[in-house]
Amino acid sequence: MDFKPLVRFQDVHLRYGTGPDVLHQVNLTLAPGSFHFMVGPSGAGKSSLLRLMYLAHRPSSGRLSIFGRDVSQQDRKELTMLRRRIGIIFQDFRLLDHLTALENVALPLTITGNSLEKVRRNVSELLAWVGLADYLDAKPPTLSGGQQQRVAIARAVIARPSLLLADEPTGNLDDKIAERLLFLFEELNKRGTTIVVASHNEALVNRFNHPVFKIINGEVRLIKNTQSPSVQHNTGAM
Amino acid sequence: MFGARNDVPLDRDASSRFLPWLIAVMVYLATMSLVVAITMNKLANRWDQGLSNSLTIQVPAGQTPTDRQSTERNLKDLQDKLVQLENVETVEILNDAELNKLMEPWLGKDVLLQGLPIPFLISVELGQSNVKTIDAINKIIAQSFPEASVDDHQRWLGNLLGLAKVIQLVSLLVVILVGGAAGLMVILVTRMGLAIHRQVVELFHHMGAHDSYIAARFQIHALKLSTAGGLSGLLLAGITIASFSSLLGQANSSILPSLTFSAGEWGLFLLMPLGASVIAMMTARLTVLRSLALMP
Repeated sequence: MDFKPLVRFQDVHLRYGTGPDVLHQVNLTLAPGSFHFMVGPSGAGKSSLLRLMYLAHRPSSGRLSIFGRDVSQQDRKELTMLRRRIGIIFQDFRLLDHLTALENVALPLTITGNSLEKVRRNVSELLAWVGLADYLDAKPPTLSGGQQQRVAIARAVIARPSLLLADEPTGNLDDKIAERLLFLFEELNKRGTTIVVASHNEALVNRFNHPVFKIINGEVRLIKNTQSPSVQHNTGAM
Repeated sequence: MFGARNDVPLDRDASSRFLPWLIAVMVYLATMSLVVAITMNKLANRWDQGLSNSLTIQVPAGQTPTDRQSTERNLKDLQDKLVQLENVETVEILNDAELNKLMEPWLGKDVLLQGLPIPFLISVELGQSNVKTIDAINKIIAQSFPEASVDDHQRWLGNLLGLAKVIQLVSLLVVILVGGAAGLMVILVTRMGLAIHRQVVELFHHMGAHDSYIAARFQIHALKLSTAGGLSGLLLAGITIASFSSLLGQANSSILPSLTFSAGEWGLFLLMPLGASVIAMMTARLTVLRSLALMP
């Protein structure tokens, strides 16, 4: 391994409460600046794997390192600082209906103590970049699904995260728009952001030349390797 | 601070509508309990000061008018002896007119003229309540009028002061209980808010908000609601006090208390809504922090 991994799973298991393993003996390594797809049927464990990556859960067993830090060794404040380096796009967007598009996008900055006035210019530019320059003061319920999704993407990237996680971002989009969205992710990836996109649409994913992990019954397998030097994989099941 | 927009939409919750009213009722009850405690304290002090320095001597009168006149003459000698004692300020023998007036509500007009053996009453005012002086007075009376009795009011005054103390303690207990109930209510409302806005709270958490940032959203909300409710409760209590004060003023009775308060006492009343706000704010903060501590 000639790079310092950004994300590293070592024999990771995850179960909720006393239930069965949702993720089973996961071993995978993501290099900085890599782009991965994660496919699998609904309920296979894609969202759970993402939740581990955005530190919503700790592994039930095994070791998970993010940005070179073992998450089980970090205290709450350190985990908070790690979370600030991760952007998340949720399947259901999770926009706050009572805030404008601009305020929604600014959230990752305002929660860290920046005033809206201070970040307004950056946020406006980003919203313009995703094609929403005319919707700065629009509230989510007045926006279309596609527009809401772009607000969610802008919110995920406004703080320039090192790792961007997208959970079924193409779920509600037609193929053409979905493809454009993935091109947008590629643009972000070219700027150095490590990207993981979970999708159940394998046909769409296969149009892109990026490594693909498949999750079936909680086990992770690499089904497509693009020979990228920045990618390594090693799943327990393989 | 109040003008800042809360990025957790707590203002839309049903709890936002009823919490101020509940806090208003709590502050009203706490303020009125404090009013009772302060008034009872003042009343007890007034009784204590008014009666503990006085004695009433009751001397049985003879059966016939002649006996009564004889006793009355001897009372003058007793008065002279008592007034010479150290720490005795005044010795006043109630005359027939005063006795008649005293008996009038129970026995009708001019009872003495009807030949009833109404005892003589002597009121003694002391400089200060002093066992030595009271013993000296008892000794002189025992020599002059062995059948006379001395009432220093201590027995019934003691009972009355004890009752006043109990009422004070109960009132203060009510203030404390009301404070506790307000705290429990805020916990309930905050937990409701956390449940309703769980997804927003989780979103902030995942985006890297510190626990204190999320807690601040809830504590500012609780502060706003409790301040509005607390001030309303205090206003209501103020109106009640003014109304009672007016009624008591009209009664013009020396037994009933007066509802007038010093600036310091009004300051104590102002502490009720302030206390409610602080309790609400801190309770909301701690409740949210405890819930967030369950997240990784």
